[in-house]
Amino acid sequence: MCLAVPMQITHIDGFNARCSAKGVQREVSLFLLQDDDIQVGDHVLIHVGYAIQKISEQDAQTAWELFDRMFSMEEADAVIG
Amino acid sequence: MQSAQSWLQKIRDLPLPDNVRLMNVCGGHERSISMAGLRKALPEQIELIPGPGCPVCICPEQDIYQAIHLALNEDVVLVSFGDMLRVPVNVSKNVIRSLEQAKAAGADVRPVASPIEAVKIAQAEPGKTVVFFAAGFETTSAPVAGMIAQGMPDNLLLLMSGRLTWPAVAMLLESEQPGFDALIAPGHVSTVMGPEEWQFVVDKHRIPAAIAGFTPDSLLAATYSALRQLIEGRPFLDNCYSEVVKPGGNRKAKALLEATLDVVDAPWRGIGVIPASGYELKPIYAEHNARLRFPDASNQARAHIGEMPAGCDCARVVLGKIKPLDCRIYGSPCTPRTPVGPCMVSDEGACRIWWASGLRKEAAETAESY
Ligand code: SF4
Repeated sequence: MCLAVPMQITHIDGFNARCSAKGVQREVSLFLLQDDDIQVGDHVLIHVGYAIQKISEQDAQTAWELFDRMFSMEEADAVIG
Repeated sequence: MQSAQSWLQKIRDLPLPDNVRLMNVCGGHERSISMAGLRKALPEQIELIPGPGCPVCICPEQDIYQAIHLALNEDVVLVSFGDMLRVPVNVSKNVIRSLEQAKAAGADVRPVASPIEAVKIAQAEPGKTVVFFAAGFETTSAPVAGMIAQGMPDNLLLLMSGRLTWPAVAMLLESEQPGFDALIAPGHVSTVMGPEEWQFVVDKHRIPAAIAGFTPDSLLAATYSALRQLIEGRPFLDNCYSEVVKPGGNRKAKALLEATLDVVDAPWRGIGVIPASGYELKPIYAEHNARLRFPDASNQARAHIGEMPAGCDCARVVLGKIKPLDCRIYGSPCTPRTPVGPCMVSDEGACRIWWASGLRKEAAETAESY
């Protein structure tokens, strides 16, 4: 439950933002990053709907490669299960 | 950054002791380790032990019992992170034993992926009392604190089950047999709380510690660092995830945690009370505290303290005392489809992860040689 996933901010409205990653859209709260300078286009780590840290595009990319692998394992598991 | 292969080579080149035990305290780390097959790839002297890294697994039985009890009240909508729904409590066969079963029996139980959804449900159901069963470590409790600080609808109550990770590690280190020689510290807990949270491991216990991210190369970098610290007898806290884990952590998140939640002595499933290891709502939010608003349910739940399903060895798995495969009922009857303990339910539970990566009892001999 402590695994945060990176997403890119596409829209900001106060503390609320819309983020996307790999075609998935999500409403996200920027409340925990309200003291940071956050702009549309930035990458953030999301955990349970809240952005907890700003990260670089490159780190977002690396993390996504990891998740791709994990999720395919998960699907494999569902078949074997 | 160096590749996993080159880190592995550097580790192989170290003058390793005969046996060295590295504990991780994050289900995400355990998943990466298992999925990437790091146990097989590392020299056999190195033992990677999954420790207390799964918030679902340590959520005390009385809290789950209370959540089920509240869900069965017809004026209540019970919302919870999805992982909690299938965790069974120890009651006799024909009694409802999980939130999932309560839902099947007609209770209004709704899985959520975010505190934001809990707020939306409360807003959409003004005539009902919505109870948000909030289990999780610091990474999850910080968003919950954000939700509280931003303002909750009057009909939204919290059954707060948040826990801090470091006190469990401190408890192990203060025990006679901690069971590990070095610590791989959790990446996203540290993102929120700051790397400093783990300084005590080094300063007070002289145990090497390295904060890791979730990719195999980050985990191997931390493994290499911890091993080197051990071999050189020079423990220090190494931040191997510095691109994300910043000094001081997320200060706003920490301030919100402090403003909304008290740190209290708290029970851990099968383990008992760990001092100053839990989050509870501050008294100013008493109106939103489900424990105070439903005292009867709280009293009844208290009768279930310490109850574990027969044969379940989750507590020892969580503390790294035994491996999932050592549990007598791993694989039969305990599987992800028919979980007996929470470690087989949660995506972050060591038993579930080991099962998902293909480890079976029959294969125990080969598995033991990692
Ligand atoms: S195999 Fe099942 S009962 Fe045994 S420790 Fe794991 S989750 Fe608990």
